[in-house]
Amino acid sequence: MNDIQLPPIDYAALLPMLIVFGLACVGILAEAFVPRKHRFAVQATLTLAALIAGLVTVIINRDLEVTTIGGAVTIDGAGLFLQGIILVLGIVAFGLIAERRLERGGAFVANAAHAADSDGDKKQLNEAGATEIFPLTLFAIAGMMLFCVSGDLLTMFVALEVFSLPLYLMCGLARRRRLLSQESALKYFLLGAFASAFFLYGVALIYGYAGSVQLVAIKQSVLDSDKSGVLLAAGLALLAIGLLFKAAAVPFHVWTPDVYQGAPTPITALMAACVKAAAFGGLLRVFNVAFETTSWDWRPVITAVAMATMIVGSILAVTQTDIKRLLAYSSIANAGYLLVGVVSLGGAVGSSMFYLVAYGFSVLAAFGMVTLVRDADGEATHLSRWAGLGKGSPLFSAMFTIIMLGFAGIPLTSGFSSKFALFSSAWDANQSALVIVGVLSSVVLAFPYLKVVVLLWLNPPGDETPTVSVPGYLTRAVVGVGVLATIVLGVAPSWLLDMVNSAGTFLAK
Amino acid sequence: MNPALTGVLADGGVTTGEAVTFWILAPIALAGAIGMVLLRNAVHSALSLVLTMLSLGVFYVLQAGPFIGMVQIIVYTGAIMMLFLFVIMLVGRNTRDSLIEVLRGQRVAAILLGIGFAMLLGTGLARGIGSIPAVGLAEANVNGNVEGIAKLLFTRYIFAFEVTSALLITAAVGAMILAHVEKKPGEKMDQKVLSRARFEKGNYPGPKAGPGVFATSDSVATPALLPDGTFTERSVSKVVPARELTIAEARPKAVNGSKEYGAIK
Amino acid sequence: MSLDMFGHDPWWLILIKILVVFVFLIVSTILVIWFERRVVGRMQHRPGPNRHGPFGLLQSVADALKLALKEDIMPTLADKAVYFIAPIISAMCAITAWAVIPFGPEVSIFGHKTALQITDLPVAVLVVLACSGLGVYGIVLGGWASGSTYPLLGALRSAAQVISYEVALGLSIVAVFMLSGTMSTSGIVASQAENPAVNIFGLEFNVPGWYAILLFPSFVIFVISMVGETNRAPFDLPEAESELVGGFHTEYSSLKFAMFFLAEYINMFTVSAMCTTLFLGGWRAPWPISIWGAANTGFWPLLWFMGKLVLLMFFFVWLRGTMPRLRYDQFMRLGWKVLIPLNLVWILVVAGIRVSSEQEAGTAKTLIIGGVILLAVGVIFFYPRRKQYQAPAVADLGVGGFPVPPLDLKVPPSPRTKKIAASREATGVSASTTTEEEG
Repeated sequence: MNDIQLPPIDYAALLPMLIVFGLACVGILAEAFVPRKHRFAVQATLTLAALIAGLVTVIINRDLEVTTIGGAVTIDGAGLFLQGIILVLGIVAFGLIAERRLERGGAFVANAAHAADSDGDKKQLNEAGATEIFPLTLFAIAGMMLFCVSGDLLTMFVALEVFSLPLYLMCGLARRRRLLSQESALKYFLLGAFASAFFLYGVALIYGYAGSVQLVAIKQSVLDSDKSGVLLAAGLALLAIGLLFKAAAVPFHVWTPDVYQGAPTPITALMAACVKAAAFGGLLRVFNVAFETTSWDWRPVITAVAMATMIVGSILAVTQTDIKRLLAYSSIANAGYLLVGVVSLGGAVGSSMFYLVAYGFSVLAAFGMVTLVRDADGEATHLSRWAGLGKGSPLFSAMFTIIMLGFAGIPLTSGFSSKFALFSSAWDANQSALVIVGVLSSVVLAFPYLKVVVLLWLNPPGDETPTVSVPGYLTRAVVGVGVLATIVLGVAPSWLLDMVNSAGTFLAK
Repeated sequence: MNPALTGVLADGGVTTGEAVTFWILAPIALAGAIGMVLLRNAVHSALSLVLTMLSLGVFYVLQAGPFIGMVQIIVYTGAIMMLFLFVIMLVGRNTRDSLIEVLRGQRVAAILLGIGFAMLLGTGLARGIGSIPAVGLAEANVNGNVEGIAKLLFTRYIFAFEVTSALLITAAVGAMILAHVEKKPGEKMDQKVLSRARFEKGNYPGPKAGPGVFATSDSVATPALLPDGTFTERSVSKVVPARELTIAEARPKAVNGSKEYGAIK
Repeated sequence: MSLDMFGHDPWWLILIKILVVFVFLIVSTILVIWFERRVVGRMQHRPGPNRHGPFGLLQSVADALKLALKEDIMPTLADKAVYFIAPIISAMCAITAWAVIPFGPEVSIFGHKTALQITDLPVAVLVVLACSGLGVYGIVLGGWASGSTYPLLGALRSAAQVISYEVALGLSIVAVFMLSGTMSTSGIVASQAENPAVNIFGLEFNVPGWYAILLFPSFVIFVISMVGETNRAPFDLPEAESELVGGFHTEYSSLKFAMFFLAEYINMFTVSAMCTTLFLGGWRAPWPISIWGAANTGFWPLLWFMGKLVLLMFFFVWLRGTMPRLRYDQFMRLGWKVLIPLNLVWILVVAGIRVSSEQEAGTAKTLIIGGVILLAVGVIFFYPRRKQYQAPAVADLGVGGFPVPPLDLKVPPSPRTKKIAASREATGVSASTTTEEEG
């Protein structure tokens, strides 16, 4: 009985995650012990400190390649880079979450327990928002970081739940339009739980095939297992459903528009940037490490999913009349482009990560600017209300135009350089059909973006055109960083491309 | 492990006891699962699920996993399903699914797809594992089942185990956020304050009058009559909407044995 | 004593054991009802039942017969199937738990060596917990299926209560598992036989083996939560007769009611037997008797086991006779805010002591001791104190600060006695003015 020995633990490798997890727990304690009036300041400082400390430790660890804590965590170049992406995008998204100048008390409801439009709800309209949002954000980000570096499917599942659960919660905490927000939380939660069940079932079947849930062991068992391939195929299919759900790929995308629309916009931004990075980090790792040798089996399926995602996302984006839904469909289409990177395997890992960075910054800036267009009822997200904003707020409109052009993939923006990098590496990997569909769908997808630009500048402002609020420092910083990144990565992308390519790939031993 | 207690042979074969138990409980488990979906009454539905989970617990015990089997029964049937029942009973026994389909044909499509998925998975599994002998049970339980699980939890899966605490903290915080209204200092009324407020000037300290009970109606929505013949609004709860009663509601309630009852059904 | 000795009995021996345990449960239920009524009677200065048989012993038999012959009522609004099944679930789960209770050591029955225990499992304690967890379904479903308000409220209370107190109960057993290193009931009894040597801060001494002494906080928590788990006074909120008529079993009658009754008493035996097994040395003889070498062999242990059981039953009755019922929110607060946190801290302390006693002095040991001290300081420092009562700034209307109805309430004069009313007029006014001055 006394032969239970802890496996060797490389604490340095785990440090970024341990810092974020630990400070999230400290945040929970702060919620209990810090007086109400200081809570916001304490929580915001803690959160920012955790994210920055995590990022610093990730940078210190940059050359680490190690599998530790019983094989549960694999720290490698790509994993560290993904962790870095999540942390950087998390820091930027933190700016939107902590913003309290646009609206009294911030974007989150003070007491979610009051039923929407009840007496208590009306009373709390001007109260400061719930500060639990900060530790929850930290938990979510820590979960995403673990998701990208999990060495076995069980740890990956736990990480998936750790980052999903806070998101389900935070989706339901909007200060305005609470019923819509709660509906989105419920939809996300139910469908997410359903997808988790698929993931878990897939893990069980793969365990039946490989006799292990470790990614490396699965790869090995593919080569020398004598079990029926049906188990592996079925397990892989179910596993992929769970992963593709989080990545919002067609046909597992139906939650995306409703959730993006209903969730508080800072949380939508967090989901669009960080969760996308985490989900594709996980997808890339699973397919590159565990199933690289079985690519003949799954490639046609994932190719079909990628094509469907690109086509459905871009075509449905054209018909949208709400800016948040439009961005949601655009995020679906972008998931399709990223899937091209997954299908292309090894060679496209770097360019996929580059795409995640570029898209993350742009989408954060886009949602940051969505929070600025407001009327008496909060954000005015219907596109018709955006008509003619360019006359009254040229600076805002100019920046939004840059972001839209970036999404549309116009040269000299990050959208162009990232798509170019991704498609060229996919072309090298002989995925020409996917590249063709990708290019065609980006042309289709450019249409709704340009429609918004036309709406902003060329349409006359109506009576109901809302005002663009004066942003606080935090939102200003977020939008500034996002727009700047969109331009810099478009004009001079080579340094980051060098970085992602030198970050190496996934450790598969 | 003592094979007589677990019913599992060391070579992974199946004893008669195990086979008999399986073939009795497997149909029950399936029936429970199907009943969960089909039964209209929410409590019956939850009970069917309890039945399924109980059978699963027994299966785990049968397959030499007594710890996980018991935990399944204690946690899932004992606690989680009990919470489900709690909520269902709080919401009310007459709450039933609305039969209106929001998406046309969705029910049929769901049934077809569900059956298709089950067949696909079932045949796949039958092909995949039908001929594979079970191995590794003896090694896994060599020091006892509980010890085996403990060893795995605290060695290979220690990180997942520890990270699960983040999940639990999130769940607890989430429950607090969604259900707990934080009282501001001074807002909380204790017994002393309440009783003092009750005897404040301008407040009537006695119990409120009950709702009216007349020969025509015994509904709680009927206000009581004051001695001067007017209604008193104090006798009707604020949450009861003021409205005209239907004939069925105004009719007296059923007594044991009588055929007709309107207001309750 | 190991688990290998179980599972080899011939079928007739198993049958005998099961029958004996079943009969024991039924008979002792009848006896304990009599016992309870007599003891409570003594506590309330009255004789209790004393008419039927010697000391009124046959009273319960008569009651049981009467109960069985009563009319079986099915309420109109009841959910028939569930209403019928609920008492069966309750009684069945209560009886099943006794499959793993150890009554005594290995004895010889008709030439077969076998333990005085139906069977044992590596997870036997969990079996008992599972049975009590499932037994609640009987109460909850019975309350719901009655289709009536008070039973429903009783069922809701019961569901919340049992879930809350099962957590405390389960956590209090964890410390026992950690010390004994097993979850089988016979193993736990065996592990309480020795007097382990304990090394605390370099001092080496033997401690008694009973976990009630070694793990006193666990024992206290177990005893409190076992009362909550069995819905007994002062925690009998699901059937609080002054609030809910009869709680979950208001609508039940005849044999169905008898089953609930039976289940409640068997559950009391079960938790008492668990308490005996886990904390009070099981069937092993207590200290002065245990000096006698043969005390723990043969059928003698049955006697010690029963003695401990009866003592615990007396404790239950004693509680019922002396304690007022808790308010529901206070009861829940006790469970969630006192018992569970205390339990967690205690488990941490036990684990710390366990680890530190296995290690030589070193950083880990210092860390653990430092951690325990820090924890204790933290608990003392942060433990929420009750606020001092502050008298209100404005004096109450009532007498001596107590809120009482205003004293100037006037009885309206009856119109029929005009004469008397007229004479009262003057005095009534003067009286009201004086009270206002006083107030």
